[in-house]
This record gives sequence, C-alpha cells and structure tokens, in this order.
Amino acid sequence: MVSDAKLSILLIDDNEARAEAFKSALQESRYDIVHMSSPTSGLLREVDKLQPDIIVIDIESPSRDILDSLHTISNFAPKPVVMFSDEEDTEIINQSVRSGVSAYIVGDTEPKRVRSILDAAVARFTEFQRLRNELNETKQALESRKIIDQAKRLLMQQRDLSEQQAYSAMRKMAMDAGQKLEEIAATLISILNNLDIGERK
Amino acid sequence: MMAKRKSVQAINLGFVPLTDSAPLIVAKEMGFYEQFGLDVKLQAQNSWSTLRDKLHAGVLDAAQMLAPMPIASSLGLNNPATPVITPMVLSLNGNAITLSNELYEEVLLVNDLSELTLPMASYLLKDVVVQRSQKNKPKLRFASVFPYSCHHYQLIEWLKSADLCLDDIEIIVIPPVNMVDSLHCGDIDGYCVGGPWNAKAVRAGFGVTVLTSYDIWRDSAEKVLGILQSYYEQNTDTVEQLCRALKKACEWLEYTPNRFEAARMLSGYDYLDAPIDVIAPSLIGSCLVKDDLSPRHVPGYNQFYCPYKDINSPSYSNGEWLLKQMVSAGQIAPEIADKFAINSVFRADIYRKIFR
Repeated sequence: MVSDAKLSILLIDDNEARAEAFKSALQESRYDIVHMSSPTSGLLREVDKLQPDIIVIDIESPSRDILDSLHTISNFAPKPVVMFSDEEDTEIINQSVRSGVSAYIVGDTEPKRVRSILDAAVARFTEFQRLRNELNETKQALESRKIIDQAKRLLMQQRDLSEQQAYSAMRKMAMDAGQKLEEIAATLISILNNLDIGERK
Repeated sequence: MMAKRKSVQAINLGFVPLTDSAPLIVAKEMGFYEQFGLDVKLQAQNSWSTLRDKLHAGVLDAAQMLAPMPIASSLGLNNPATPVITPMVLSLNGNAITLSNELYEEVLLVNDLSELTLPMASYLLKDVVVQRSQKNKPKLRFASVFPYSCHHYQLIEWLKSADLCLDDIEIIVIPPVNMVDSLHCGDIDGYCVGGPWNAKAVRAGFGVTVLTSYDIWRDSAEKVLGILQSYYEQNTDTVEQLCRALKKACEWLEYTPNRFEAARMLSGYDYLDAPIDVIAPSLIGSCLVKDDLSPRHVPGYNQFYCPYKDINSPSYSNGEWLLKQMVSAGQIAPEIADKFAINSVFRADIYRKIFR
C-alpha cells in the first residue's frame, strides 16, 4: 500500500465542535473527511455511495449497530471502524476490543495522535482482511482434499486399485476433461455411490 | 435472606431503554435492589454493540441483553469470543412488525382487499414482491434492530412462512430510536422492533402494526440478564441477589394494575423519556394497529412472569431454540451449533440454585 495515497473518512458525530476539531487535526494529511451529523436512516446508503476507506464514529451513537451489522450483511463490504468517546472508560474498552477491525480514540483531537491511530486502524484492518481471506482459502483447500480422498477411497474399494493407481486415474480424467481434480472427484463420488446402490439391488 | 450481607454491593447495570426494560426500572423505583443489599446504577445505552463491548470490558457489570447476544458473545460472532452467561430470562415476546402506510395500502390494493385480517399472514406480501419485481420497482426493505436478535429471526420466520427469503426482501439493521423516522421518510417499508416504537409509529400516523412477535413465536425468551462468566465466578452472591431483585420485579409486573404504574415509571426522563400513551398499551395487552382502527387484544404482548409456569429460567430448550434460529439465519455453521454446549451459556443450573 502506498502510504501517501488519499484515504476517505466518513465522520459520524452530532457534536459539531468536536467534528471541526477533528477536521482541522487532519488538515493537510492523507485523509479526506466527509462529516455527517445525526445520520438516521440514510447511513447505509451513504456508506454505499461514498465507499469510505474508514468510518469514524462516536461510541455513544445509536448508529453503531448499523456499522456493526456491516460485517453480517453480505451485500455491504466491511469497513474499518474507529470509535471515539469522551468518557474515561474508553481505554478499558479499548483493551478488550481486539477484533482487529476496530480501535478506539480517546476524547482528544491532538493531530499527531489522531493520525497515528487512523494509520494503525487502516493497517490492522488490511491485515485482518488478509488473514480472513487466507483462512477462507485454507478451508476451501481442506474441503477439496476431503472430496478427492473420498473419491480415491471409493475407486480403490470398488475397482480394486492401489492408491497410486486411483490417483493417476483421477488425474488423467481431469486432464482429459479439462476440469479441476476436485470437480472430477465430486462427479466420481456421485457416480460410484449410485453404482453401488444399483449393484446392491 | 435479605440481610445476609452487611456491605452494599455496587453494580453497573446496562440497558437499552425499551418497554421491556420494565423489570430493571421497576426494581430500581420500587427499591427492590436495596432490599437485596445492592446499589444498582442503571446505565442507559444507545446501541447493543456498545452495551456488549462495555460488558465485555467490565465497564458494565451486568446488562439486559437480547436473548441471542450471550451466545454470540461466547461464540465470538463479530466480536472477540468472550464467555457471557445468562442466569435468568427477563421477558417474553414484546416485539411487533409495523408496515409503512404506503406498504399497507399496496398490500390491500394488490390483494384486492378493503381491510386486513390481523395478525397479517405474510403470503399477502408475496404478490407485492412479484409485482414489484415485474415492474422493476425496488425490493421491499425491512429493518430489525441487531443481527443477533429475536426481531431479526422473527422477521425471517414470518417471511419464510410465505416462501419469501432474503433474496426477495432486504433486511437491514436500524437502531430503534431511528425506526419511526426511517419508516416515515420511506427508507424502509416495515420493521420489527420492541415497544414503544411500534405504538409510536401508530400514534404518529406513520405506520400500521400488523402482528406481534407473540403471533409468530408464542412465548419465547426475548431479553435476558447477561453477565461475564468471570464476573459470576468472582461475585456469585451479588449475582444471586441481583437475580432475586429482578425476579421480584417480574412478579410485581404480573399484576395488571401495576402495569400502568410501570408505564409511568418508564416514561421518565432517565428511562424511556416517552409519553405514557405509547408505553402503556403493550404493557396492558393492547396492540395499537392504526390511527383510525381499534387496538387488538394481545394478552401476552409483554410477559415478565407466569404464576403457573417458570418462564424466567434460562432453560436448555430456550437456548437450543435460539441456536437453531442462528443456524437458519446463516449466522453460524450447523457443525458449530452441534458442538456448542448451550448450557454453558443458558445457565438453568444457577437459576435453580437461586430459586429452588
């Protein structure tokens, strides 16, 4: 990621003075701010339209539940969310929220601090997304191996092949058909299981 | 029993101001917490996510939670996995589905009806969905209050009874305080929410409440007391006293004349900050329907206690039922639900120990 690329921020805060302070803290930085006060219902639409790189919100805002749901509603892409609060408890909450998708800012709007927290949140979110994608890929790989193994076992049992022979046969079929090994395995399982039932009748 | 401990135990108790927060507020106003040696500070929260985060962090010692929330916390859905338990169910039912006036008219028109039979059957939405898709009009959009809420599952279940799914109708999350406005400005066509937000829409003339959660799932756990497992282990006596005070409030609420008094307490600035005429109806079993129609009698609209059946026990079946809903909503994989020991969250054993 290029560190000086412009990033857009959607700031949700009813407190105009704080929003102003926040904006001035980020002047001449890589962050562009769009400020929304009292967003009621249009928030999801706004997020969808603006596609901000990061969302900053008051922890006491009712709209937090809308943002929290972004991770469970599949047709909206998750966004890093940074929360801030004027309450002194913030640091404690901060320590317990380690999901990698959110960080909290304390009440102050000291420019250097604000920027470094935003930078950290973006970095953490990118890392979180990468790990999540990796996890999905690993799961997928495990799933296909399971299918391939099952097809191989069926071939060995029903056609009296060795493991190596069964595997080579499947690989040849995949190459001839121009399909993935996993797809051939799935087809084989369905055919061999049906044959098995047919033979038993 | 009451004078068991001399020192007063301070508790920060979180809640989201709603009609079914009644037991927590009644216990405060009637002095039940004090009777059980507790100094409870009620802390109103604006969102379920923040209530959850504060409970996880120990900023709140206990909280009124949506019944599926302790499961979501313990499983680490959308948050770092944190063992949260519930020793007690605080209320049953209490939600309702309200349609915008525009959708209500559309339902009548499309089905060639002059009035609706209530509770409304969801198949009446089917032709609306089909017509909208044929005419390239936008999909219907409904709102619930939180992904891990009975509201969300009730909405899905109601739609499913007409073979409608999330491909046909969109469901988004909107906080209760913004529901009525969102309905009025046309951002959503309907919602499932708890009181007083259904009555508010009807009183304002913005919507029509077509059925209650009691009509969808008769008597299911709606709100529960949530606490960190670690807090329970370190403060067992305090948690037991808190449950006793809350159960006393639930019992007190069973007597109908007390329900109106509860509505008065809830309407205060520190709590719901809303007029009695939107809080009292559901508490006395009245479902407001539409500004120019008579209310509907729904005796179980808000249930906190039952003299002949123990509804406050966080039973295994309560927990299993919710887990099943989470699976059908696609929020957790069936294998995870199968492996999950629900009685580690729904702690009927603690409840039995306190109220044997």
